[in-house]
Amino acid sequence: MEPQHEQGVLKFSSFHPWGPCVALIVLCVGFGLAEPRFASMENLRVIADRSAIPLILAVGMTFVVLQGAIDLSIEGVMAVSSLTVAMLVLNSRTGLDLGLIGVLLAVLSGVGIGLVNGIVVTRLGVPPFMATLGVWSAASGFAMLLSGGQPPLIHDQTLRAFGLGRTFTVPNLAIVAILVLALGYVLQHYTRFGRYSMAIGGGEHLARLTGLPVDRYKVLAFVFSGLLASLGGVLGSARIGLGHIDVGLGQMFATVTAVVVGGTSLGGGRGGVIQSAVGTVILAVIADGMIFVGITPDLQKAVQGVIILSASLFATWRQRGRLRIIR
Amino acid sequence: MKKSVLMIAGSVLLMLSARIVAAVPLCDKSQIRLVNSMREIAQPYHANLDKGGRMFARWAGLEQRYILQLNQGDSDKQVSLMRGVLTTNPRCTIFNVEPNADLVVQPMVNAANQSGAWIVTHWAHNEGLHPFDGNDQWIAHVAVNSLEAGVAISKLLAASIGGKGGIVALQGRLDTDPARKRFAGLLQVLKSMPDLRLLDQQTANWDRTAAFPIMQTWLAKYGNQIAGVWAANDDMALGALEALRAADLAGKIPVVGVDGIPEAIAAIDKGEMIATVSSDAYYQGSIGLAMGVCVLTGQVPLPKAWPKEKREYYLKLQVITKGNAWQYRSDPQPSAYVHDWDCANLWNRSTSKAF
Repeated sequence: MEPQHEQGVLKFSSFHPWGPCVALIVLCVGFGLAEPRFASMENLRVIADRSAIPLILAVGMTFVVLQGAIDLSIEGVMAVSSLTVAMLVLNSRTGLDLGLIGVLLAVLSGVGIGLVNGIVVTRLGVPPFMATLGVWSAASGFAMLLSGGQPPLIHDQTLRAFGLGRTFTVPNLAIVAILVLALGYVLQHYTRFGRYSMAIGGGEHLARLTGLPVDRYKVLAFVFSGLLASLGGVLGSARIGLGHIDVGLGQMFATVTAVVVGGTSLGGGRGGVIQSAVGTVILAVIADGMIFVGITPDLQKAVQGVIILSASLFATWRQRGRLRIIR
Repeated sequence: MKKSVLMIAGSVLLMLSARIVAAVPLCDKSQIRLVNSMREIAQPYHANLDKGGRMFARWAGLEQRYILQLNQGDSDKQVSLMRGVLTTNPRCTIFNVEPNADLVVQPMVNAANQSGAWIVTHWAHNEGLHPFDGNDQWIAHVAVNSLEAGVAISKLLAASIGGKGGIVALQGRLDTDPARKRFAGLLQVLKSMPDLRLLDQQTANWDRTAAFPIMQTWLAKYGNQIAGVWAANDDMALGALEALRAADLAGKIPVVGVDGIPEAIAAIDKGEMIATVSSDAYYQGSIGLAMGVCVLTGQVPLPKAWPKEKREYYLKLQVITKGNAWQYRSDPQPSAYVHDWDCANLWNRSTSKAF
């Protein structure tokens, strides 16, 4: 009756990853039964495409959350990288045509903003919540200045084709997302960055006492999150074809939700990128499935809320009582 | 005989005196301040509101007296920015307002009534509020008939697919008045066309990025049943268009939107969208200032003497299709508006009394 006391890999002290996976399968089967077309190959591709950018964002967010912090700035970062990429590649406004270099520079813009987040948090001692909220606002303002009432249209056809295209029937963005997920997995399990992030989240004070360079790894996590957020902004722009300040609208909340639904604790120290990936796909399946089964838009928000609540309850049932939502 | 002559003479005198009263300037022209109050200027619609206002200010020789107020989507800020300006010489200040929300109109009108400033509002305000109900400083409310916009694009979409087939609809934020009324316009057209079928409707919250995956899901669900795409604004129409492009269907399935933003006009030129409707941001950004200047310089009577339909009316919408898209490709010249700014033609674009 008390499975959390069992010994072995599924024991309670390690995160039990199967809850969210089961929730995902239940959702897929449910939607598939209600509307068989949901299970078509084409719709799987659509779900993969829909999950791509949120997954990239979630991988970055995971390390920050594993450390017990949060990065609220990702929408601002996406806005900046969106405008940056659109103004550096062939576009309607600036006359530049930097191609791949422009894309790389735009992705680097997120590194810069992530660095600011990290420094404000570690050196100035501002709590991550406030620091990244402020940076979000500042970054959005900067993006708005860049936009200046005339959003730059992306005329670089290679970038557009990449954003909209498929390789061997798999959406290109989904391929990028899988590569990012693999990178995140390697970072989490095979590098100091991953292990120390877990340690910092598990107990920052203890981590400091053992001599870990905590601040350095905190900055790194924000930089990585910024990097992936700007990558998300660039890919989103490649898809819609312009630099848009709202390219990340609603993504911050969705990303945090995905990370938590997947089973990464907001308190830090528990979870990982694979869990976040499952959480992201759950959200994508819900959004896609609700359209398939014909839930009216007025109800979708409410239904989404109920499903997310049930999914997280289901996923974390074994850890109830010990679940630290926020420190 | 004598009596009627007297009466005629009397009425002529009355009319003359009305002219004279109207001709007394309320402010020295150099004292007039023009304030355009809007959300932001990052998007083309708002940028064009500002451009229209500046164009008018330059034309009227009041360029140095033009003030732009941006509230960044914060209604309280919109009111407090207004109050800030009212601390000096309110009676010669004109506010042309794009309300951040319907509810912000009341406090702004109150501020004008109390201070003696002049205000013209656009789009919508909360019900039961009217300029002619004792709000003497509220020159006029220039409303946009979202139902009419919805009907116009729906008819064009229906016509482009021969009045039959399945369509999908992207709604704006469901809790906003334009979203509801534009969609009601679609429903009205659907009712009159039994062969036209609404396959599904979803909300993408006016947002381009949100429209993209919804269109993708529709394509997976309905495939070639989709004959046309209806969107409550151009941003969502363009998001859906990119999803169509990814499926190699851009230009093959007609798309309609509302707002008349430059990219939508370019898409209409290319044949990837077929229609949009514009309220003409340049006009909305300038007409309130023009009205105010006409009132303050005494070229028209005080607004409280105007008939109701001149103080609250629907703006004539411009339907943009392939045939006339070329006219909207670049920023207009002031000459295109000079006629509308003339104090004798302030109501040129009124279609009817609003609400």
